[in-house]
Amino acid sequence: MHKSATPSTDDRPETDLAQRTGGGGDTPPPPASPRRRRRGIGWSGRLEIAVLVGPALIFFVGFVIFPVIMAAYYGFFNWHGYGPAVDFVGLKNYVTILTDPDFQEALGHNAFIVVMSLVLQGPVALLLALLLNRKMRGQSLIRVLIFVPYVIAEVVVGTGFSLMLATNGALNGLLENLGLDQLTRDWLADPSIAIWTLMAILTWKYVGFAVILFLAGLQGIPEELYEAAAIDGAGYWQIQWRITIPLLGPTLRIWAFLSIIGALQLFDLVYIIWGQYVAPVAGTSTMATYMVANGRNAGNFGYGNAVAVVIFLISLIVALVYQRVVLRRDTAGALTERSDG
Amino acid sequence: MKANRILAGSAALVVGALALAGCSAGGSDGSGDGNVEMTLWQNSTTGPGQQFWKDAIAAFEDENPGVTIKMQSIQNEDMDGKLQTSLNAGDPPDIFLQRGGGKMAAMVQAGQLMDLTGKIEGDAKANISEGSFKAETYQDKVWAMPLSVLPGGIFYSQDLYTAAGITENPTTIDELVAANDKLKATGVAPLALGAKDAWPAAHWFYWFALRECAPKTVEETGDSKDFSDPCWLKAAQDLEDFAATEPFNEGFLTTSAQQGAGSSAGLVANHQAGGELMGAWDPGVIASLTPDEKPLPDLAWYPFPEVSGGKGEPGSMMGGVDGYSCSAKAPKECVDFLNFVASDDQQTAYYKAFNSPPVNQAAQAEVTEPYLQQILEAYNAAPFVSQWLDTVLGQNVGNALNVAVVDMLSGQSSPDEMIAAANAAGAKG
Amino acid sequence: MTATSVAISAVGTSKPAGRSRGRARAGTPAVYFVALVVIALMLGPVIYIILGGFRTNSQITTDPAGLPDPWVFTNYFDVLTEGTFWTLVLNSTIVAVATTLGVIALGLMASYVLARYHFRGRGALYALFAAGLMFPITVAITPLYIVVRDIGLINSLAGVILPQIAFALPTTIIILVPFLRAIPDEIQEAAFIDGCSRLGFFWRMVIPLAVPGVITVGILAFIASWNSYLLPLYLLNDNANFTLPLGVQAFSSQYSVDTAKVLAFTSLSMIPALAFFSLFERRIVGGLTGAVKG
Repeated sequence: MHKSATPSTDDRPETDLAQRTGGGGDTPPPPASPRRRRRGIGWSGRLEIAVLVGPALIFFVGFVIFPVIMAAYYGFFNWHGYGPAVDFVGLKNYVTILTDPDFQEALGHNAFIVVMSLVLQGPVALLLALLLNRKMRGQSLIRVLIFVPYVIAEVVVGTGFSLMLATNGALNGLLENLGLDQLTRDWLADPSIAIWTLMAILTWKYVGFAVILFLAGLQGIPEELYEAAAIDGAGYWQIQWRITIPLLGPTLRIWAFLSIIGALQLFDLVYIIWGQYVAPVAGTSTMATYMVANGRNAGNFGYGNAVAVVIFLISLIVALVYQRVVLRRDTAGALTERSDG
Repeated sequence: MKANRILAGSAALVVGALALAGCSAGGSDGSGDGNVEMTLWQNSTTGPGQQFWKDAIAAFEDENPGVTIKMQSIQNEDMDGKLQTSLNAGDPPDIFLQRGGGKMAAMVQAGQLMDLTGKIEGDAKANISEGSFKAETYQDKVWAMPLSVLPGGIFYSQDLYTAAGITENPTTIDELVAANDKLKATGVAPLALGAKDAWPAAHWFYWFALRECAPKTVEETGDSKDFSDPCWLKAAQDLEDFAATEPFNEGFLTTSAQQGAGSSAGLVANHQAGGELMGAWDPGVIASLTPDEKPLPDLAWYPFPEVSGGKGEPGSMMGGVDGYSCSAKAPKECVDFLNFVASDDQQTAYYKAFNSPPVNQAAQAEVTEPYLQQILEAYNAAPFVSQWLDTVLGQNVGNALNVAVVDMLSGQSSPDEMIAAANAAGAKG
Repeated sequence: MTATSVAISAVGTSKPAGRSRGRARAGTPAVYFVALVVIALMLGPVIYIILGGFRTNSQITTDPAGLPDPWVFTNYFDVLTEGTFWTLVLNSTIVAVATTLGVIALGLMASYVLARYHFRGRGALYALFAAGLMFPITVAITPLYIVVRDIGLINSLAGVILPQIAFALPTTIIILVPFLRAIPDEIQEAAFIDGCSRLGFFWRMVIPLAVPGVITVGILAFIASWNSYLLPLYLLNDNANFTLPLGVQAFSSQYSVDTAKVLAFTSLSMIPALAFFSLFERRIVGGLTGAVKG
């Protein structure tokens, strides 16, 4: 290992660090390299792109994009689910959706869930990932055990928690058995508590997902950095704060992105535990439960498909804003800038 | 890069062309050599119900050589979605469960059902009443063969009632409230309610409406979807008043109707609730949830009490009908099968397997359970029989009423708002 | 290499040199205690689900919080000895393994291009894949059914595998792209200087270096496929082809659900997915360690 003569004069040391060791990206190549072409990509390059991306693209367009477009088409109709759609209503469904107080409530719930998911799961998962990254006895076993909630299907989680959290369910039963009667609550149907119950269940289920992502991201941080910092006498938490977390940046931001989109699409757990009727009453309805309750279950399939399109557009807007504001450094050029040759 | 765009574009075109090319119906009922194959979709995935269908198919195949029927058992909750998908994709099953009401109307309008008018023969024609066929009629044509009638009423535990000192079944709502108080004194929830699924709560509203509204009003509102007649508001107020007497189990908003342990049926099965307002499928459900998984020995039934001053005809009944339809493209042997399943012997077997009342009157004479006999008696003597009101009103309004009733029972809205919500349901569909 | 010096300047204050306090410190009692608490919280509900399988529905209704009394073994026994259970496991395994392999292959190739090539339309391509996450798929089932029907794959495992690969691509690509970007350009330049082509670089260097990311998306894809219910439900008609989640239908009668059996069944269903995870999670180590040396 050799040190350079002058320390970097970049006034954003973390970025420089990220670019050198973790962020890759768009560092312009040193002019000395003879092989690097700056002028576009030759035909061999284009062929490589086509061969590598082609299969994924074909699958994706055929099985995802095409059905989605067909489904969105029905959103312009008043369609009851059988036979071709004939009753064209244009944007009327969309107007009804956006002016429906039930939908607006659901949207508010989704926003709350998005924010609280990040706030609750992020720090907890980070600490867990740091914990699990050490060599300790039972490391593998502990990792598996922490991951178990994520492995269980949502349907099963829903069934189990319904039994546990019902008013005459296991949790209240346990509290009574322990003599803690006054702590029993209506965990599911009480509007002042229900949303927090939901957040607790979501955290329980999805913290494993975050942990595994962070664990993978931690592997990309070279040991030498820790050794060098330790040699200089930095403490453990200092190291985490100044080195690990910034270098984990791209992983953190990607996790947050997936978490946000997942929170906007949340359906299964709410539907199974609360049901489409009690969810609005309890304050836990989401846009997706609204979609099913007012669409498929009411026989208004055209309306339901329109809600799906609205969910899509909202997710898209959030994603674009997120890309522009947060992910700019990681995926420069990926979404919002012109490509640079 | 342009190459990429061209590639993506052509990929889309290729897959799109593939998908659209085969839009005409695929699949066929291989009848090239005189053999007929049919598919049947039914919703009993386990137990005697599934066995009934296997036996019926075997018997039919014996009597009709050259005909084979392939059966698919689909869980009740998933049936509607799967059926709708396959109907719209153009390869539906030949014989399938028909829910009736708005769903059937939509299928008829899409031309997806076979018209059975005039094709009903044999026992089915002779022994099944007009009233049962009425449920499967739309625009004056018959679209499904009824198999089981499932009227509603209060299923209760005789033991719990006796222990509470209730000697006579309540015949009016006031008597019901008094009986509830007696049950509460013994520490048992008077009535179980699976409000998580909403429709059990909505059923309370529908029964109050049946008692408050004249039969003609009920039929008219079924067509117009207009709830301005004051009897509807009165029914909503009746429900609110009744709910204020706290007759339901604690935590009814988190209790499901039939989903296994902890459901309202489970409460009745384990003597934790005195009874519940349900349809005639309930004995079977309760039987599966008792400690020994056998039918509840002290299960009994009485009809929904009368409401004083109501315009409904005393003794009116409300219930659903389970039937089976043929798809529009099914071979003619499909109708033969339906006639076969509705015959006397098959109907008796059906009743024994499902423990629910058959429509065939010859089979009805074979019923032995006292509560089923009472149900059939009340049903056959009723001056006016309506289908479940959410079936009559259609899925859209029915669903809106479900939502509105739950809102009201949770204390978050009033009878006026409930009726207003029902009227407003038209906007979404 | 300036990396180290920058790191040191970023850390700041210096203390007398002590023992290495990087990440390789063995577990202290405090650490184990925290781990224990977390595991207890995570596993509590899971144990409830597993124990539920040892009770009857009646027990669950009358005493929700109690232990099995008496312990009922028939639920688990029935599930295991019923002939179809193992067929379900086999089908699920085939589908999940095929989906995972397909997703990794297609996803890795596409991610590599999106991460390391520069071309016009790259942004649009990435956005296209990301957009796939944002539409509630349940609504698109009917058109999807038609597509699968038209390529003749209804009621076959392949008809489930192919769409599942497509559905898993957005998450896979979103996760893999940053991992592939993170491979420093210096390595790429070094490879090119040594005469390696871009594809050769992909094959010989990128794949080994991306192992943690690949394992992660592989695990996620496997579990998503293992638990997938809606897609197989609509596309499979033949009991012989059913995957494990569909098997839960056997415990629901026309009007009711055998909760205890469902809990037993789903407890058993978890095991293969957990086994897969524990097999592969050990490989989520290494990666770039040691790759960037002066």
